[in-house]
Amino acid sequence: MIESKHVTKSFELEKSKISVLEDVNFSVDEGDFVCLVGPSGCGKSTLLRIIAGLEHADSGKVLFHDQPQISPTPKITMIFQLFGLLPWKTALENVEVALEILESKKEARLEVAKSYLRMVGLEGFENTYPHDLSGGMKQRVGIARALALQPEVLLMDEPFSSLDELTAKILRLLVLDIRGKSSLATNTFFMVSHNVEEAVFMADRVIVMSPRPGRIIGEVKVDIPRPRMQYLRDPVYFKYVDEVVEVLEKGK
Amino acid sequence: MNFVENPEISSLPYYTFRTLLRITITLGISVAWGVPFGILASTNKTASVILVPFIDLLQSIPILGYFPVIVLFFISIFHGGEFGIELSAILLLFTSMAWAIFFGVVGAVKAIPVNIIEAAQSFGVTGFKYIRHVILPAIVPALISGSTLAWCDGWFFMIAAEYIVYLGTTYSVPGLGSYLAKAAYVYNDLNLSVIILVLITAIVFYLNSLTWHRLMEKAATGTYKPVTRIGLSGLGKLGVIRPRWLHLGDRIHRPKSLILASKWVKRYTRLEKAVALAISLAAAFLIIYYIAGQIPSEVGFHEAFEDPEFLNLPIYTALTLGRLAVAYVISLGIALGMGVLAAEHKKFAAVFYPIYDIGQAIPILALFPIFFVYLSRIFGSRLGLETTAIVVLVLDMIWYMFLNVVGAVKSIPSEIREVGRLLGFKGLRRITHIVIPAILPAIVTGSILSWGTGWNTIIFAEYMPYEMELSGGQPLSLPGLGSYLDKTGYLPPPKGNALRLLFLLGEIAVIVLAMEGLVWRRLLRKFEKYRVEV
Repeated sequence: MIESKHVTKSFELEKSKISVLEDVNFSVDEGDFVCLVGPSGCGKSTLLRIIAGLEHADSGKVLFHDQPQISPTPKITMIFQLFGLLPWKTALENVEVALEILESKKEARLEVAKSYLRMVGLEGFENTYPHDLSGGMKQRVGIARALALQPEVLLMDEPFSSLDELTAKILRLLVLDIRGKSSLATNTFFMVSHNVEEAVFMADRVIVMSPRPGRIIGEVKVDIPRPRMQYLRDPVYFKYVDEVVEVLEKGK
Repeated sequence: MNFVENPEISSLPYYTFRTLLRITITLGISVAWGVPFGILASTNKTASVILVPFIDLLQSIPILGYFPVIVLFFISIFHGGEFGIELSAILLLFTSMAWAIFFGVVGAVKAIPVNIIEAAQSFGVTGFKYIRHVILPAIVPALISGSTLAWCDGWFFMIAAEYIVYLGTTYSVPGLGSYLAKAAYVYNDLNLSVIILVLITAIVFYLNSLTWHRLMEKAATGTYKPVTRIGLSGLGKLGVIRPRWLHLGDRIHRPKSLILASKWVKRYTRLEKAVALAISLAAAFLIIYYIAGQIPSEVGFHEAFEDPEFLNLPIYTALTLGRLAVAYVISLGIALGMGVLAAEHKKFAAVFYPIYDIGQAIPILALFPIFFVYLSRIFGSRLGLETTAIVVLVLDMIWYMFLNVVGAVKSIPSEIREVGRLLGFKGLRRITHIVIPAILPAIVTGSILSWGTGWNTIIFAEYMPYEMELSGGQPLSLPGLGSYLDKTGYLPPPKGNALRLLFLLGEIAVIVLAMEGLVWRRLLRKFEKYRVEV
């Protein structure tokens, strides 16, 4: 469904060129949960933004349903590390406003927004501003907003790394729970993370990137049955974690 | 025939030198005063309780409002001698320059991170050593940006300070400001005025971009927080400067401006401000009567408020507020449009920013005589003055709005921008959903600053004491609070009256504080939630 073909990207910084991504190739199939791990600054987030249509590759391309992905589309939405909520809108309005391009009637939008907030467990917080929500709740709004657009693909940019571990754990389960819901159109997940345990816990496949300039240096297929909660102390879980870490270390 | 024929033109280099020297000396004095007092106010609790609200209040009264008081003081002491006039010019400049440095130092000392303070304590760095090794290095950037501000403020007020008409006599010190005033009012020579203005602008622009700009870049490396640079070049307009760009989201040294302005607004309760107001008015009162050598008696009070014009005070106040409001609305509209346009479209910005850079180097008060000479030729002297007042007010206020709007649009976090793009917001929707709400807090700070500078300008703009041919040798004035204050301050009794002057100053202070408390502070509190937490 998503294909990255020879994607190369560099930035100009203080007149010197910094190569961020170098010949990145991979593909994500429909229904996949893929996690991209790599050291800080290796271009993971840039790659995610190219898939979202927010940035463009210098050479190479990203295909979405075999079409070049060049601008943002409601079929691919994203949740952000720092939540990306509009501080001047309430939780409900934050979800509602996202629907503006799809639905012109405000009542209908509010109805949909409410149902998604309920789904992420934020009933009763509809009229609260982000300022007064905890980090975990903010990310719940972010998830509700992304899902409300009924995308085919959900991109996640280190979605749990600014939360405390306990909250992060709960939200990871929330995302996996959502993935299990057959009523939703969203069934393909692509997450960027630097947390190997998280990646192994959540993904079907873990793609490993090298330090800058980012290249794909390996892929680990995680064959642990779901739900994986019960495997968190299992040697098989640690085997996969070690495997990913090994690839990461090799890349140094 | 020459383009400009003027008997004094050959003295131009000398005038330039004198003005430069005057502002430099005043800057030196301001630093010498600001550093110790700033350190004192920020490290000593008692000193801070007494000093900070007091100085804050002094700076919230338009500086030009207490010009008459200072002039009165020096001219009476030196009997109108040149040294006295020079001193009063310097003191006037000082009152416009010192605050930026003081508040810069206070802000910088307060912003020293707790871990640095604790580290210093645990290594036994205390007392003088603490000042030498922790405080002084910490305030250097603030000192430089504060000096830049002060420097610009100095150029802004120079024309008002160098050429004073008091009790019907003109007191002037040699300098560019007084020469410009003379060119416009005495010689009524538009060409010469424009030439002097261009010269002033060129000097300010040259020194800003050469000296201050470099110093600031150097200083920025010594701060405690990472430096974010944004591609707007040059200094900010007189008053609010570069550090905004250099240190986004950082409170280390933003003198008197922007975030700090909003912090000051929030810092005191109304009661505290009222007390500070009462104390300072009483102090000013004592000083004036000490100089004038008279103790107010019942008769004194009578004389002060028996002036026939006094009854017009409510109308005057309304007129002045009206002028300010008209100018404010115009500048808000233009600044919003241009600022958003500049931030959204690179091509527009490429044309706009250089104009902006040069524009902000023009001391607005210096524009006044030129606009007046020009506009009064078209509209006649009365309507000419009215238009000039509004135009100059707009030009003055607009830079603060620009600066804040452009800065805020540029500092919208990339995540929020990306969200806007992901959600498909384009054009108008993008502006109403993303851009405008994101910059609302900045609009409020811009408004506070532009009203502050507006008050100064209007006091200058409503009254032309000069005996010009244009107005048949008569002083020219627009009915308003500013002109009434000028007349009360500068004219001989019974029109001039120290007690009434104080009363009018008090009125302005009350209006300024009331607007802060009732309008700006509320809006700031409301928009506080809109700040994007990163």
